[in-house]
This record gives sequence, structure tokens and C-alpha cells, in this order.
Amino acid sequence: MAARGQRSAKRRSGCFLVMFSGVKPDKRSKVKGITQLGSRSSSSSSHSSNSNTTRSNSSSGSGGSSSSSSNNKGGGCKSHSGSSSGSSSGSGSPPAGTPPHTQMASHESLNSESKSSSLNSKLGHESGGSPSPPKSACSSTSTTSTDHHHTNHQVSHVLTATSKMTVRDGSRTLRPDEPPLVPGEQLEGTAREVTYLCPYVGPKKGTLSVTNYRLIFRSPETDPPFELEVPLGVVSRIEKVGGANTSRGENSYGIEIFCKDIRNLRFAHKQENHSRRMVTEKLLQYAFPASHKLPFFAFGYNEQYQERGWSVYEPIAELKRQGLPTESWRITRINEQYELCETYPAVWAVPAAASDNDLRNVAAFRSRGRIPVLSWIHPESQATITRCAQPLVGVSGKRSRDDEAYIQHIMDANAQSHKIFIMDARPSVNAVANKAKGGGYESEDAYQNAEVQFLDIHNIHVMRESLRKLQEVCYPHIDNSHWLSNLEATHWLDHIRCVLSGALRIADKVESHKTSVVVHCSDGWDRTAQLTALSMLMLDGYYRTIPGFAVLLEKEWLSFGHKFAQRVGHGDDRHQDADRSPVFLQFVDCVWQILKQFPHAFQFTEDMLITILDHLYSCLFGTFLYNSERERIEKEVKTKTVSLWSLILSNKADFENPLYSANTKHHVLFPRTSMRHLCLWDKYYCRWNPSMRQQEPVHIRYKELLHVKEQLEKHVDELRKELAARQTHDSPRVASAIV
Amino acid sequence: MNSHRKGTPSARFTTYIDFEERPIDVPEETNVDEEKIEPHLLPGEIMIARANNVLKFAPLKANRTGISGTLFVTNFKVSFVTSLPVETKERDMHSRSLQNRFLGVHDVCLSEVDMVNQFSEDSAKKKRLLYNTQMPPRLSGLQLVLKSLRVINFSFKFTPTGEDIRVAQALLHHAFPTSIDHLFLSCGYAPSSPGIPDFCRPADWEHELQRTRCPNWRVSKHNEFFNLCASLPTVLVVPRDLLDAQLEQAAQHFQGTRPPVWCWGTPAGAALVRMAQISPSITDKQQENRMMGLVHRCHPMRLQPKIFDLDQILPSLKEIQISYIKLRELHTPDDPTQFWEQDRHYFSRLESSRWLSHVSKCLEVAQNAATAILHQNSSVILQDASGCDLSAVISSLVQLLLDPHVRTIRGFHCLIQKEWVALGHPFTKRLGHTRNQVEEQSPVWLLFLDCVYQVSLQHHTALEFTSEYLVALWHAAHCSLHSSFMFNSVSAKYSASDVLQRENPQQPIYLRPVWSWWAENKSIIENEQNGSDEEPLDCKTSAREAFLNVHYIQKLFKSLAISGAVRRISDPLSSAYHTWQHIDCLMGETRQLPYDPATPIVPLQLDGSLRLDTSLSNLRPWLNCFCAWLSEPAMLTLNDSESLLKDSSPASHHWSHIHEMYNTMKDLLSQNLTNGAAQ
Repeated sequence: MAARGQRSAKRRSGCFLVMFSGVKPDKRSKVKGITQLGSRSSSSSSHSSNSNTTRSNSSSGSGGSSSSSSNNKGGGCKSHSGSSSGSSSGSGSPPAGTPPHTQMASHESLNSESKSSSLNSKLGHESGGSPSPPKSACSSTSTTSTDHHHTNHQVSHVLTATSKMTVRDGSRTLRPDEPPLVPGEQLEGTAREVTYLCPYVGPKKGTLSVTNYRLIFRSPETDPPFELEVPLGVVSRIEKVGGANTSRGENSYGIEIFCKDIRNLRFAHKQENHSRRMVTEKLLQYAFPASHKLPFFAFGYNEQYQERGWSVYEPIAELKRQGLPTESWRITRINEQYELCETYPAVWAVPAAASDNDLRNVAAFRSRGRIPVLSWIHPESQATITRCAQPLVGVSGKRSRDDEAYIQHIMDANAQSHKIFIMDARPSVNAVANKAKGGGYESEDAYQNAEVQFLDIHNIHVMRESLRKLQEVCYPHIDNSHWLSNLEATHWLDHIRCVLSGALRIADKVESHKTSVVVHCSDGWDRTAQLTALSMLMLDGYYRTIPGFAVLLEKEWLSFGHKFAQRVGHGDDRHQDADRSPVFLQFVDCVWQILKQFPHAFQFTEDMLITILDHLYSCLFGTFLYNSERERIEKEVKTKTVSLWSLILSNKADFENPLYSANTKHHVLFPRTSMRHLCLWDKYYCRWNPSMRQQEPVHIRYKELLHVKEQLEKHVDELRKELAARQTHDSPRVASAIV
Repeated sequence: MNSHRKGTPSARFTTYIDFEERPIDVPEETNVDEEKIEPHLLPGEIMIARANNVLKFAPLKANRTGISGTLFVTNFKVSFVTSLPVETKERDMHSRSLQNRFLGVHDVCLSEVDMVNQFSEDSAKKKRLLYNTQMPPRLSGLQLVLKSLRVINFSFKFTPTGEDIRVAQALLHHAFPTSIDHLFLSCGYAPSSPGIPDFCRPADWEHELQRTRCPNWRVSKHNEFFNLCASLPTVLVVPRDLLDAQLEQAAQHFQGTRPPVWCWGTPAGAALVRMAQISPSITDKQQENRMMGLVHRCHPMRLQPKIFDLDQILPSLKEIQISYIKLRELHTPDDPTQFWEQDRHYFSRLESSRWLSHVSKCLEVAQNAATAILHQNSSVILQDASGCDLSAVISSLVQLLLDPHVRTIRGFHCLIQKEWVALGHPFTKRLGHTRNQVEEQSPVWLLFLDCVYQVSLQHHTALEFTSEYLVALWHAAHCSLHSSFMFNSVSAKYSASDVLQRENPQQPIYLRPVWSWWAENKSIIENEQNGSDEEPLDCKTSAREAFLNVHYIQKLFKSLAISGAVRRISDPLSSAYHTWQHIDCLMGETRQLPYDPATPIVPLQLDGSLRLDTSLSNLRPWLNCFCAWLSEPAMLTLNDSESLLKDSSPASHHWSHIHEMYNTMKDLLSQNLTNGAAQ
């Protein structure tokens, strides 16, 4: 029996649907967590067929099912087999892993025609009336199968026989259209006759259910049913719209949900149903567990995966991979109890010349005790990247002999250069301003042979504001006539450019000048993490593999204490908290920019990046919870929750980039960083907007090519055999037999 | 761990350091045998001026590192001769150009020069030099801005006095001639036959009428001596019911005496007609109405034609030119500082140039016209002032959207030959090949190519050629030896040819259409000069890979991969056979053309599959064209990424598989044939 977790992932995309992997109760068929696409709603089946060549054969058979390109690798998901016209399971299986993007093609479709078709369809199909009842024995919920193949916005659920659903409210019984739940998920409330006010295809009436993990909206009005699933972790704030007495007119009374993933959802309730209060309460409770003293859903989620993601990163093993310890660098456990620095990991690599006592003294001179610690060492030149927080110079220009000596040790550890660069990520004005708060930067007088460079990256508040503007520009509607200037006015790409060129500069110093670099900003957990991680990605091909990228995130971001909980605001209802900022999103965007310039150099595709970002918010996995390694240990995250890497490593094939060529591993990537070579990551930021036409990624075409080649070779082989056979038996006719 | 890195970055690439200023790279050898250095001259080409010890700067290298050589101006090109190695980027661009048969890697055709500026070492100011500018006594440097948006700087710091001025004068005089026949148009080699009809013979148009099966139109030869209209070819297609005498009468009422002409149609009877506006001096609209009535009557179902007044709904030629000038400024920065300054506001500047919005409008109008033809079966009349500018853009795009044949290289060549060359788009005026009529310049041709680029982006498997090829076509429009895009009309070409013949009675005059590129296997320069030392074929293969759309070929293979198709591949009646022939034409090493002129052209099958998304947020700036020569000023010490960037062109993996598939199939076929023969 197929091992659990191994089955293929099915993705259908849904319109607004975000589907998380593993979320489905059926352990055998795991859905991939990609939430891709926003193929929004256009429900038209007719249109989606335009698309594509890319689409796998099978799916295209049934009228453009945009959604399904399922890749059944191991033998097909049962739950789907009953589905439409045998298209997907029957005919030749699509190239493996045809991805989610295939669905994107459906974007083309959004247009008036599609709208009308969905309206028409309303008449014909009521909820129960989907033309062919699900045949699969599995579960009641497998439903909609037929429609899956026609719709874009369908949510996919892979459903499962074994799902255990708990329905608490005795008055309801499980109906065929109840949503399938992930292990550990419970239905908390359901409201009927709710209208989802889709900004693209207009209002849809249906049922809104809230579980302890997500909200699910299904509307049987259209054929196929319209579905929307949103993990509550992405909710940033919930507002009631309209009052009991003030609301006039249709759809003016309800709630609006603001999400962290660049979209807002509006639901209208009927006042007479009195459903709004219940929904709002449940939403508030489960969207903001931290504010209600409830555990995160990740602690209840108990999916089993084949791979154990928590073991992907072992600090010592990673340092050994880099060649440590060496003559000049040692590994220390001085911070094992997180006493010296509570936001740093337990294991550090430091210059061998510095004693433990030196480390303590240096810690006193660095903000929050975050002393310079090794991030990466060049395997040949021994030039290093070390990271830290700002020195506590202050207005009086304090100095620390120990700190100066320590920086000297770092420089001396690299025999190739008599110079060291200190890269201060901030604009110099900010660095100076920090002196007033006791911080500051190294003066070149005090630090001999050191050169300080400022990288001009702005702080978290600027970034937050920039993303807010970007959201306004992208969602819900795009103003075409000013698209480019509006985009520029958000400065989002400008900031991306700064971060990238900063990282590029670091990589250049290390690679080309063989000079060590010390990187810091103010606290050394936001911009510093971006810079070190990106320059390591450029310098070291290992980090461009799937497990390597996991190691990079675990090491530079998680273990070195990027404050994920604060920056994302997991489960916290203070949506205006000034500590929130899209620092990590910005980093992932930079990775995407590099990936786009070097399509052959990465083992993963952008799907993995999107999946990572979706689970950054979803709270389904324990990976991004809490602010530091210490907190995670206290909360026993590793034993009580599942790691995101379990999902990714167990479904590696779905994230693999077919264009990857392993020999790029030894290359250093120097991306171009001018504005004209950057682009907006529309597949992420504009994914909810069906009018944005998504470019079909070249790796999909490549997969198709491999498939075509395989088919062709198969036919040629058959023909050859036949030919050989005829030659022996019936030689005179050979030539004509072939033609 | 040693394997970690790929060794020291290669030193082939000249190192440019921007962080630290370097002293000027003074050429040490100099004077070795400067006098012996000569440019490669084509037959009939004359050297006019030379300057020794000239430094050529790579674009945007602030550090003043230049390569030293000798600069020549001939009546054909500006030629820089040096023994130093060529930058990889330049070599690469050169190998993918259609002119590389006549121009070396450091050569620039004179008609490609757009502006000449004088700059000096000490001041940042530059001054534009015109053909009639008074020369200063001494030039410290020249900056050439080319129409392909490339900037080249030459410094005369070490040049003997006098040579700098002579070179500059020769350049200004010959790059901006008073008349088109002063350009170097013929080099004495007969072009290979391109296999493309030139749409100047009745048979070509009849063939087009047959192919489209569009009823009720006829070929008229009434313009035989260009007596009817100078901007039309000698043959035109007009309504069947229109007598030649009426045609002549009608023509007088239109601008340029250009009567409406048929350019394409569908079997169901919808015709695509291009029409000029009524002459401003004529108030009487009777003839115009009469012509529209005739178009109406040509429709088998008598459906009312749809009229698109392009002057109303599309930007004017002036606006297009203004946009282009803004684009040019944005893509030809003088130095890294200016580059980064522009780069900060790249998106808003691009938007304010309005270029993309012009592209969007053209696509939208083309889409509407295509919809009218496809879904309403109505004829479409495209009307613009002179009947040969924007109507050419829209007419070509409509055909691209509806006619699968046009999406092949052969079909695209035919389309351009028909709509642009034969029907008389005034290239000389619009692209400024002469110094006259500067105010008439407007790169309508580039606008069209950009529209096609957007189509290729949105439908990556639809076109047989790549956007690289479109870039090459844009560059080819500035090379005087490719005559296709040099003239205002067919008649202008004939008269220029006559003038040349009169001036050189003993020498044959060959005007070379750009399409002959595909048939010419050897570089004329190398052929002539040094016979053997390089392999021109090799550069052709790489150019082919750059020009042929691998995804299109993939689509062809896909149709072979369906069950049973391979089995029928030798049956000339099957579609698999034709698909294979098509693949073989594109891939076969021995075939000269990317298509076989002998293949019968299949009758038109309308195809409505190319729907375009014309909203601005879905259009992309055409970086491959606008930034073709503009590399980012290096921020780095070593720049080893350019090569990696290039290697990682996503198509390279595709190509290797396509070649494998091709070889598998060829193997199979040859095996079958041998087996068959053995019997």
C-alpha cells in the first residue's frame, strides 16, 4: 500500500483557493500545498481551454479543465477516479508533475463571456445537481469531481475515505458538500445564505464554514461550484460592514476580511439569519489564537509525512559541510543555554583566536549581545561572511578593544586579504541617527584596515508601507493606464533592487576580492538576514538545491532569530502593530528575481517559494512560529508540530525544476540589479487578479517536451520492433508495411 | 572542496573596474604598422578617410578603458580595425545579425548612424554635429548613436591632428546623404534567390487570391508604369466590378493618388482593404463612397464593411516619433551615472514615453478588426492618411492573428514583402535614411515589430520565429545593402537602381532583399578576404537557433508523438508526412532555407486562436530590442556572469532535446528507406 504521504499531489487550483497540502484528511493523497493560482474565478469552462499547450493531454480532454492537471504518480488518487469523463485518470498521464501553473492559463479567460456562462449555468444546476454523482466510494466529500475538470476556481479537495470529520454541532449532519478536513481540523460553525462579494465575477451565494484552521466558502450557484478556502492564519483583520439598522440595500451587511497575502474578502450576510455574529466570533477566535490564549493550529495538526522535515538542518553538520572547524575557526556551544545571547542559536562558529571570555566581552559591546558569528566561509580563499548587530557606540563614540580585536581576528582568519569590509545595511543617515539610541557603526579610526560601507536599505516601516501601496496597486483592480508609474511609486522594486545589489556587493567582495565581510544593520535580524542569506545563495550552489534552501532558511533566518512571530503577527489581532513588516517576503522576492535570471541554477521552482510564503502565514506548520530558536525549544515546536520541510521534502518532485543543471552548483551568480531587469512577481502579488495574464513558466514547457520526446521514442521503438519482426517473417513487404 | 568553484574566472574578458579609477590604457605598441592596416572593402566600396590611434570605448565603461585601433570611413561603413580581442557581447550580437555577411564585428553601416555627437575629455557636455555643422579645429572624441539604440564612443586623444576632422567630415557627409541612391546599395554580388514572391508580379497576387479563396476581386495591371500611383506596385487587387478606367478616376481623389487595394481576405468573402484618405483639396466624398460601395458589393453576402479610421483611433505618426525619441533617450545613457539615474525611474519614464500604450492601441484595433472578420464575416477597410503607414501595421497584425501561414517564417516574409515593401511603406522617410524630410520620420516599422513581439510573448508556441529574429529585422532595416527596407516604394527602388546603373554602366547592380540572408551560407567578407580561417556555417547554426522558435518546433513534434502518427510518416497524404517535412526544413543542416519554396502552400484556414490581452499591465517592454546593446554598467570586479546568463538561456536545454528527437526520427526514416531499397 502506498506509503502515506506519497501519493501524488493533486492540485487543482482554485480560484481563491488556497489549498494546503497535506491538509487533506486523506493521508494517502496529499495535496500539495501550493496555493497557487489565483485563477480566479472565471468560471468559464470554455475559455480555459484556450490555453494551452501546456496542459497535459489528459486534462485538456475535458474541455479545458484548467484545474486539474493532476499528476498521479503513484497510481492515481482514488478519490478522483470517478471524476469526469475519465479524463484525468484514464488517458495518458500527463507529464509528471504538471504543475499548478497549467492552470494559470485560465486566466485568459476572464472576460465577459465567462461571466455570462456562469450565470447561465446557475439556472441549470443546483447544488445537488451536479451531473454525475461521485462514483468513488470514498467519501462523501469527494463530490464536485466532475466539475473539477471544468472549472478554474474550484477548490480542490482531495478527499478521503478515511477522513474523520468531527461535527460538533449535533444539529447538522454531514452532507455531501461538507468540506473535507485536514487531520486535526474541526468544523466550528457554518452559516448559510452568505454571499461572497467577489471583486471579479460578482456576488456568489453559498455556505460559509469556519473550522479551527480555515474558512471555507462554497457556492453551488455556478457549475462547477465556486469554492474558496482561506487558512485563518492569513487573516490580518476582520471588520464588520454595515449595522443592523443602517444597512440598506443588498449585500451591505456583512464582514470584510483583510488578508496578509494581498487580498481582501467580503462576505454579505442576511440580517434575518443572524449568522454574522457567530461567524465573526469564530473567526476572531481561530484567526487570532495568540490573542485568545489558544494554541496555534499547528499544534493540533497531525498529518504524517514520509520525510521528517525537522532533521533537515543540523547546525554542526552544516558547519562541517563548510569545512569547519579549521585552524582559524572553531565551533562553540557557549550559548547552549541561550544565556549569552537569547536570540542567537545554541551553536556558533567564531574565530579560533577569540576565547570564550573575549566572546562575552564582545557581546557586551554589540546590541542585544549579537556578536559577529560566522555565516559562510569560502572553501578556497577562506574569506568569510559574518553577521552581527550594531556596535554600541553611542553619541560619545565608545570603543571596545575586545570588539576591535575580534574584528581583527576575523580579518586575520583570512590570509588572502589585509582588509575587511563592514557592510552596514542601513542608509548612513539612519546609522548616524542610531548613535542617539546608543547604537551606531564602527569608526574606521578604531577598526584598522576595516572599511565601512552603507548599503542604503530602509527599515521595516518603510518596507511595510511600500507593500501596503503595492497591494493597493495590485488588488483588486489594476489601473492599466498608470500601471507602471503606480508600480514605481510603491518603491517596492526599488527596495528589492537595494537588497539585491547589497547582497551582490557582499558576494563580489568575498568572491572576487577574497576579502571577508561583516554584515550588520541595527539588530542584525532583518536586513542582515536578507543580505547574508542572499549572498550565500549567490556564492554557494548548495543553497540553491531544495534541501540546501531549507538549510539556508533554517540557519540564517530561523536560528539567527528573525522575529517571525512579530514581523508576521502570527495569531495576533493587533494588525497595526509597528513590528510587522514583510522582510521575509522581500527576501523571497529577491530569490525569485535571481531565479528568474538564472533559470538553470536552482533545483526548485517558484512554486516552492509560493508554498513557503503561504505557509509563512497559514500556521499549519511549526516552522515559522515564534521569534527565536530559544522560544521554539521552550514551546517544543519540534516535537509537537510538523515542519514545513516535511511537506516539501515529501513532495519534492512537485517542486523540482526540470531545467536545473547541477553543474551550475560551482558557479557564483551575479544577478543584474538594474530596475529594467527586475520585474514584479505577478504570479505571487497578482495571483488573485484574473486579468493579469500569467506567463507560462518555461519549465512547464520543458516538462511537456520531455513527455513528447518519451512518447515519440516509444512509438519509434514500437515501429522498429515491428519492422524487425516483419523483416524476418515477411521480408518483401517491409517497406510498405512501414508507411 | 576544491571542486566547489570553477577555477579562476577566465581572463578572456577585459576587466573593467568601476570602483577604482584606472589610468587610461595608453596603447603601447602604436605605430607598429598602422599604415598597413586596411579595412575590408567590398567591391565598389571606397575608403574615404582614416584616423590612426583611435580609442574605442565599450559602452558605459566609465573607467576610460578603451581599445586602440584605426578608424576608417568608407562610402558604406564606419570601420574600426584593431588586433585586440572583441568583447563577447559584441561578438554575440554580431553573429546574430542579418548583416554579418558584409559587416565585421567592429563595423557599422553608415545608414545606421542616427546622431553624431562631439564630446570632450574635460567637460561633460556633448554637442550634436550635423552634416552642415562648422567643424571645430580639433575633436577630442566622437559619439555615434545608432538607430539600433547603440552608443559607440571614439576618442581621438592620440590621433594625429587633422585625421580626426577628416574622419568626422567624411562620416557626416556620407551618413546623411541627400538622396537615397548615394547610399551604398549594391556590392556586386548577386543575392541568392530568397524564394519569396516580391508581390510585383501578377502571379504573386493571383496566387494570394487563390490561397485565400476570397471571391469577387481581380488583379489589375493598370499601374504598370506607376502612372496611376507611385507608392503602389505595378499590380494591384481591386474589386471585380471596378473597371480600370474607373480605378484611375477614383485614384485621383485619394491622397497620393492611391486607390483602395485589397490585401487579404477569407474564403467566406470578408476582405481586408487598405485605403488612403481623400485628398484634402477635394471636398467631394463621392469617390470614397463609391469605393466603399464596391467593397460592399464584393462581399458575397453583401454585408456592410467595417471602416476603421486609423487616424482617429491610433496615435499619429508624430506621436509615435516623439515616443520613440523618449525611448531612445532612456536607452542611450552616456555614462553609468546617467544609467543609474534613469534606471531609478525606468518604469515611469517608460510609461510617460507612451510607447507601450501605442503598442496596446494597435493590438486592440487589430484584435477588433480580426474579430469583425472572423466572427461577423464582415470586410474591413483600414483607412489612414496615406494608406501606407498605420494601415500596414494593423493589416499585418490582423493577418498574423487569423492566418496560420503568416506565423511561419516564410509566411511572415511574404506578409512583410506584401504589406510593407510592395504596398509602399515609405521606409526612406520614416527611418530617415536621407537627410531630407527629417520631420517625416516615425518608426512605424519598429512599432509593428514590437506588436509582433507582444504576440510572441502571449502565445509562445504560435510563431515559428523568435523575438530575436524580430530584433534582427529591426537592425536589418538600417543596413543599406539589404534593400528591402531602404526605399519609399517599389518605384523608388527601380529609379534608384536606374541611377546607379547609369553611374556605373559596367558593373551589374544587385539590390539584395533581406530575405536572401537565409539562403546565403557564407559571409561575403570572409569568403572574399580570408577564405577559410573561420567557420561561417557555425555562426549561422547558432543564429538559426536564436531565430527559430524552439517551442513551435516542439509543437510540431507533439503532433508527431500522438499514437499512430509515426507510422504514417512516409505517406505523402498524411498530415504526419507534412509535419515531418516541415520539421526537416527547419532543422535539416543541408537545407538552405528554413522553409521549402517548393512546398505547395495550403489554402487558408482561418484560425481564431490568437486572442490578445491588450491591457497595459500585460504588455512587456521589449528589452531584447531596446537594451540589446546596453549592458548594465558593471558593479563588479569580475563579471563572469554575463556568460552564465547567456548560457542559461532557457532554450538551450530545449534545443538539445529537439535535436535528439530530430535525429531519432531521421534515423528511423533512413533505416526504413534502406530496408525498402534492399528489397
